[in-house]
Amino acid sequence: MSEPTTEVTGRRTHPLTGLVQGLLWGAAAFVALIGSILSRRDGGVESIVFGVGGAAVGGLLIGLLAGYVSWYFTRFVIDATELRITRGFLTKQSRRIPFERIQSVDLAEPFIARIVGLAELRIDMAGGNESRTTLRFLPLDDVRDLRRLLLARAHGEEVSEDAMPVDDQRSLITRVPPQRIILGTLLSLDFLGAVLALIAAVVTGIVSKQILIVLGGVLPFGGAVVQIVAKRVLEQWDFTLSRGARGLRIERGLLSRTSQTIPYARVQGIAIKEPFVWRRLGWQRLEVDVAGYAAQGDDNGNNGTSTLLPITDPALAEAVIAELVPSRTDRVTLDRPTRRSRLFAPIGWRFRWIEARTDVVVSQIGWIERTTCLVPHHKSQSVELRQGPLQRWRGVATVEVHTPPGPVDVDGDHLDAGAARRFWEEQLTRI
Amino acid sequence: MGSPSDQLFDPLPGDEWTRVSPALTTLRRLTGALPLLIIAIALVITAVLIPSWAWLPAVGAAIALGSAVWVWRWAERNRRSWGYTENAEDLLITSGVWFRRLVAVPYGRMQFVDVQAGPLQRLYGIASVTLHTASSETAATIPGVPSDEATRLRNRLTELGESRGAGV
Repeated sequence: MSEPTTEVTGRRTHPLTGLVQGLLWGAAAFVALIGSILSRRDGGVESIVFGVGGAAVGGLLIGLLAGYVSWYFTRFVIDATELRITRGFLTKQSRRIPFERIQSVDLAEPFIARIVGLAELRIDMAGGNESRTTLRFLPLDDVRDLRRLLLARAHGEEVSEDAMPVDDQRSLITRVPPQRIILGTLLSLDFLGAVLALIAAVVTGIVSKQILIVLGGVLPFGGAVVQIVAKRVLEQWDFTLSRGARGLRIERGLLSRTSQTIPYARVQGIAIKEPFVWRRLGWQRLEVDVAGYAAQGDDNGNNGTSTLLPITDPALAEAVIAELVPSRTDRVTLDRPTRRSRLFAPIGWRFRWIEARTDVVVSQIGWIERTTCLVPHHKSQSVELRQGPLQRWRGVATVEVHTPPGPVDVDGDHLDAGAARRFWEEQLTRI
Repeated sequence: MGSPSDQLFDPLPGDEWTRVSPALTTLRRLTGALPLLIIAIALVITAVLIPSWAWLPAVGAAIALGSAVWVWRWAERNRRSWGYTENAEDLLITSGVWFRRLVAVPYGRMQFVDVQAGPLQRLYGIASVTLHTASSETAATIPGVPSDEATRLRNRLTELGESRGAGV
């Protein structure tokens, strides 16, 4: 994907890129430096103030310099078949993005960039950890035009850069009101747990009159509370899902805005998550597997990017799913773990199943947070059957349908060995 | 473990597993067991040279020797467990003695094929073939494929993948 190149062609991104990138990196450098300064226990208030000031100035300088250098050496060019980006000062890197490999094109406005009217373009391709290419920063309108162009070309349409295709008409599917997202966050178990832990830490500290205990408890748990709120509420603020000719469009964010386009054909699978409290209220969260998205999240792809609907009722969820993964609801086979698998999941084994339908394979797992996953047969990548020594002892085996990294995992855990083998064989004929 | 009557990990009816090269066993013994053996010998010499503390290197030597024997036996058992077969629509790969695995990859899901061979592998005329799909869980790597067969496999998989390409 990268090859040395000496030719310098193409245009640069917006000149303010260096500044914005520098501020972003500077903030990161500041956070990194401040940790090491505050962890030094010696010295008085002056040394801390001096240290913090030094970290701010130092981080900013490092960031600005790095930002300017990286902007100066970044150029991009669009030709008939691909987008090429060359970057790098000492190590030259050139990345070619053939249009037909593009999985999704997103537009993001990080807060600082948004203030000066700039935005970044994120292009996802399938496979690998470096499958995402980010082009930052360009004026918002330019990024919109680029996205339209790339999406059109990704669908094999011959459009020139001059005759931009007009953005197709979009119809609104739903807009999730912020208060509903806040309510949903307040009613999630991890938030409640973090708040309880925070209260416990404060109470313990007050009772024992030990300021260190308060600090030791407040910092991590308070941090967790802030992080949960920031992640859920700020990222999903004003979440709007709309439908266009080429795919679904998601727009979200309070400080940093993100606008994602998910082409219909690129949806690899859907996960329906029903956390403990939400399930009693009939609320669900929809997450989507798109090749390339997970590279930005943790192992399970739990990042804001893969959220299709942060909070919804089953009726709307069903309608959206039907639009993305058309499937007949007839059941072909249904397998549950045997009683012999209690060893592996004493409670959970009753709540797991895997079901094959004509067009999709569906699995469900979990009794605290229930996760149901759907994967169309023609999108599943491979099928695995496996058995460890303990499973062999209990006469059970696991069958798994592989999908690109993301929130969707279709597993038939600890089925009866014969049933697992049968499911594996039948699934092969279906995909 | 893995008695012949255990048909859970057999190929589909009518197919036979192609086993990987015995050179893989030799190579793994060479890179795994031999260094342990050298460590064991070095520890025995140390024990002879410092008789007052002899027990410490002696215990180390016993552990190293035990590990070497274990790796020696594991290399062959594990090598025997590897197998692959190409049927009309899928590539099937099986592996593992304790943790057994059987994965089937339809040719059309292939993104690209890697053939890798380090200097030692080249010396023994083997290579590892990896079939990549859009899913990282597929992990379809076959170690110890004879070089000619590896090239043939790569060409055939690429050809089949292109003719059926559904991709993602």
